[in-house]
Amino acid sequence: MAKRTPVLKVTALKKAFGPVVIVDGFNLEIGAGEAVALTGRNGAGKSTVLRCVVGAERPDEGTVTVNGIAVAETDPEIRRQVATVIDDLDFFPDLSVVEHLDLLARAHGIADPEAAVDEVLHEVQLVPQSGQLPATLSSGQRRRLALATAFVRPRSLLILDEPEQRLDAEGVAWLADRLKAERARGLAILMASHEPALVDAVATRVVRLAGTELVAAGTDDAE
Amino acid sequence: MSKKSRKLIRSATIEDVAEPLAAPDPAPEREFYFIPDAEPQAVDERELHDQIKLWRHGRATRTIGEVIRDGYVALFTVVVLGAMVVNVVMHAQTGAAACTTEACGIARLMMPSAFVLACFALTLSVARLFGPVLASAAEGFWLMDAPISRRRLLRARLVLPVVIAGVVSVVLTALISALVGMEIPQVVLWALTAGLGSAALMAWSAAEQGLERTRRVRTALWVFGTATLAVFLFVVSITAGWVSAGVASGIGAASVVVVVLAVAAIALLVTNLVLAGRRLEQIRRARLISGGSLVSGMQGAMFALDFGLIRDILVEREAAARGHVRPTRGRGLGIWALVWRDAERLKRYPKPWIALGASLVVPYAADALRLVVLSPLVSALGLFVALVPFLGSLRVLTRTGGLARALPFKTSTIRSAAMVVPAVLALLWAGAATPAFIGIAEAGADRAPVEGAITALVAGVAGLFGAVRWVTAKRVDFGVPMMATESGAMPPTLLFNLFRGFDVVALITAPIILGAPATWSLGIAGVVFVLLRGTFNMDELKAEQESMQRQQTAQKTGQGEKIKIVRPTR
Repeated sequence: MAKRTPVLKVTALKKAFGPVVIVDGFNLEIGAGEAVALTGRNGAGKSTVLRCVVGAERPDEGTVTVNGIAVAETDPEIRRQVATVIDDLDFFPDLSVVEHLDLLARAHGIADPEAAVDEVLHEVQLVPQSGQLPATLSSGQRRRLALATAFVRPRSLLILDEPEQRLDAEGVAWLADRLKAERARGLAILMASHEPALVDAVATRVVRLAGTELVAAGTDDAE
Repeated sequence: MSKKSRKLIRSATIEDVAEPLAAPDPAPEREFYFIPDAEPQAVDERELHDQIKLWRHGRATRTIGEVIRDGYVALFTVVVLGAMVVNVVMHAQTGAAACTTEACGIARLMMPSAFVLACFALTLSVARLFGPVLASAAEGFWLMDAPISRRRLLRARLVLPVVIAGVVSVVLTALISALVGMEIPQVVLWALTAGLGSAALMAWSAAEQGLERTRRVRTALWVFGTATLAVFLFVVSITAGWVSAGVASGIGAASVVVVVLAVAAIALLVTNLVLAGRRLEQIRRARLISGGSLVSGMQGAMFALDFGLIRDILVEREAAARGHVRPTRGRGLGIWALVWRDAERLKRYPKPWIALGASLVVPYAADALRLVVLSPLVSALGLFVALVPFLGSLRVLTRTGGLARALPFKTSTIRSAAMVVPAVLALLWAGAATPAFIGIAEAGADRAPVEGAITALVAGVAGLFGAVRWVTAKRVDFGVPMMATESGAMPPTLLFNLFRGFDVVALITAPIILGAPATWSLGIAGVVFVLLRGTFNMDELKAEQESMQRQQTAQKTGQGEKIKIVRPTR
């Protein structure tokens, strides 16, 4: 049986800022239906790894491929396949919540954008805020909108940087259920998180980063 | 750490992992401090204020003498520039005195009038933006919560903007009055009126702020803004000979009106200062801090000469004030959805249309004022400023990569799409400005219709690309190799930010100004477009190259192993 191409493959990734080496020799493979959680203390390099993986940061060494395609931030095929919620997501100050989702759904060629937007909007509980401009949303609502932008479009890999940030307890529980459902549908997930409940519920593997060295990694076939 | 996480980590399979994880430390015993249950002592607000002042001054690392010694270049520049301004004013005085026609006399009085009105509009606009009474976030946190008199604390904050408004208006009006050739006593009279009027309006805004009212200030701002434009258009019309100078024959009595205005301004200033002072206690803390945070944000952006960021702050603030819009359904699929949203914005946010309409006055004014050679440059600069608000989506899509990454298109495609609506506006502008470039004023431009149309097109394209270059500015990167300057190490982009946008306008209009064929300008514009849309993005080129290599490999292997690309699922 031919080996399946992993959705995400990171090989010998190295990234340093000046003399400070953040990650070195980092390897990772994620297949369809797998969810990997990066954990570790602040500054361990979780966000840096994610930024290198999405192409926002150019690694000093190593390669990153998504479905066999080398990652370049501006490659439309990568943009089509990878949905990201990392710290540099910006919003149009003059478009309302629902218009952001509508624009993204249409840009990705969703056949019935209104229905898709409506579903996602209900799910992230932003229906009352649908006409609001992003500047007036609370930080938790902005996070929900950011997550909604990832769920309203097609994707084969989901990359999330501390998605639980600023979400209330109910929101974290919803996110955990949502990500489990995404994984069950065959989506590959890579996320950095400090929330044990979310990691426990979603991750099939946990990779703990500690500065420049990979302290531990594990696999779990459960779920 | 949860049970499952520990289990997952224990099941490590990587050989490099030699060190077992240390057991988590037991929770340390902590001690907490609570303030004693005693009556607080009376607080003197002046003492608190002085304490903050001391902290701030205590952080200074250089004396004023050292700063002046280090900044000798700056002082020298000020002296040289001052001498140049005086020289220009003296030349203008001599030149203007030579013109004794009725039109010149009217323009001599009307131009300072337009600037006095502009000063009033500017004062109200600044007052509305910042407060005008404001407090920093630190003061809001430390002082506003303390049981002290807010009036005593904020008194200086009321006087400062009033004084600044007065001084700035005096200087600007004096300069303009002198440049148009007014006599010295008249210059003093007009400048004083402008200064007193602006100070009075600032005090009035502060008094309105105390009552949480904004509508009156906003209405007055519109009135003065419209009046400025009307007076300016009137001057242009008379100078161009479109309106007979006899229409304004009674304008000689303007000096009397100015004196009356100055007296009224003094009365208004005193009354409103007293009123505003009494209402200082009523200004909400959130309102005070809002102005303070805006100032600190803009200061930070100014230190990096990041003018785009300054505009972002203002746009964000305006959006927060508006808060809500009636959502509209998008149209089209793919990249056209983005273009449609830009078109939809034209209807939703009509304010930038005013600036675009006003920018159309520039080529006609330039023609009327016989600035035939410089007209394309000046007009393009006017359009550049007016088009910036229409490039909002391009700004958001280029300032960080996050949103662009969510769209399944090349960066160059996104940039091109975000330029479509502004490009259509620039084309319409060029069409409407064509008569000015052909020449309609006496002794103005004298071009053939086709040449005039091409010149208008060049000005339109230059304005558009100048605005595009300005909005696509990246934040200053202090991590790059620095440039040695008299003011210390400086990243090169910091300096280039000063000229960003203007450089493109100058480059595209230069051939026309230098007498070369307009096609040269269009050729340069073509090259600029290719660069601005990011056609030569190295990441994209690399991705394309790799994509081609993949295709070639697939063709060579024929029926062999193919790279399977999993299609995205919803």
